[in-house]
Amino acid sequence: MMLSAFLLTLALAQAPHQEPAAPTPSPVAETAPTPAEAHSEGAAAPAAAAATHEAPAGEGHAAAEGGEHGGASAVLMHHVTDEANYRPLGLPIAIYSKHLYFLVVAMLLVILAARLAIASYKNGEPSGIGSVVETLVVYVREEIAVKNIGHDGAKDTPLLLSFFFFILFAALFGLVPFTATATGNLSVTLALALVSFAAQMHAGISKYGIAGHFKNLVPHGLPAPLLIVMIPIEIMGMFTKPFALMIRLFANMLAGHMMIAALLMLVPLCAAISQTLGIIMIPISVGMALFIMCLEVLVAFIQAYVFTLFSAIFIGMYAHPAH
Amino acid sequence: MENPVGLAYLAAGIGSGLAIIGGGLGIGKLAASAMEGIARQPNASGDIRGAMIVAAGLIEGATLFALVIMILLVIK
Repeated sequence: MMLSAFLLTLALAQAPHQEPAAPTPSPVAETAPTPAEAHSEGAAAPAAAAATHEAPAGEGHAAAEGGEHGGASAVLMHHVTDEANYRPLGLPIAIYSKHLYFLVVAMLLVILAARLAIASYKNGEPSGIGSVVETLVVYVREEIAVKNIGHDGAKDTPLLLSFFFFILFAALFGLVPFTATATGNLSVTLALALVSFAAQMHAGISKYGIAGHFKNLVPHGLPAPLLIVMIPIEIMGMFTKPFALMIRLFANMLAGHMMIAALLMLVPLCAAISQTLGIIMIPISVGMALFIMCLEVLVAFIQAYVFTLFSAIFIGMYAHPAH
Repeated sequence: MENPVGLAYLAAGIGSGLAIIGGGLGIGKLAASAMEGIARQPNASGDIRGAMIVAAGLIEGATLFALVIMILLVIK
């Protein structure tokens, strides 16, 4: 599933196109970078990425010369949106886009966690990480899959587990400084929602056939005028449900990171007014940003759970229509 | 229209206030009835907590739809 999500994201990669003003280079122009162009853009990117979250004073001042609000919001958007030709740890490798890189990292982390958990089975889970993973796996299987899809729900558990762990790890990993949250990108969540949509379609069509699946959308025995109203509503509902999944995950991740970046940018904004106010603001704004980061950990868990739960509910709705 | 960009910022500001009113009221009512349910039957608190989180996720999703529109207004 993660491989398909990765490929879908590549295919849909309009990704780093949400630009602020000037600073972020557009990767649409980077599709065929000449070596000289890649060098200059690459030189700009680590200089921009080298501004630490704790003291963005230099960059804030440099960007603030273009006008207070223009500079501040440009820095904010640069920190939360994607960035082309990202150079991890200053190594001379230019990766296509930052969010894609962290998507792959999250993917590898999930696979690593699963392998470590499996390898720790001696005769039933003596090791640490295995027990945690097993608890979560059993929880997803019993509470989410079987409860919502029905007695044969256990065979959809791997997909739901992939959703849960991938979203959780991507979100938690994005809290580390100098990283980016892969699910904070519309293309990534669109890919996840499309995979979920494909699973829903598969659940319905493999059991009832294409015509039967669409017939199951509306309840039986409805009078004709009501049917004319219900059919477009159900068809639209079929598409808006994954769309809502996508927007919910994307907006939660984006909003959290924007709040952290905005709170931390209070420091240079106040420092532009007066030096001592800037120094006073440092503990206040770092404290607030730490609190929001703790909230973000909670939000990461909740969003992973909600995405998985709703996928299971929708799959159950199509596999066992209650009408 | 003198300055459409200024109007867009104003609209984003007013809109985000309205959106948070809606979201805050919704989750407030949800939390109130969840608390009351837990108070009436403390041994159902696990189920109530799960349902509360699900409903909060839905309400937050709707609020964040509005937030995305406002972010679009500010960026474009």
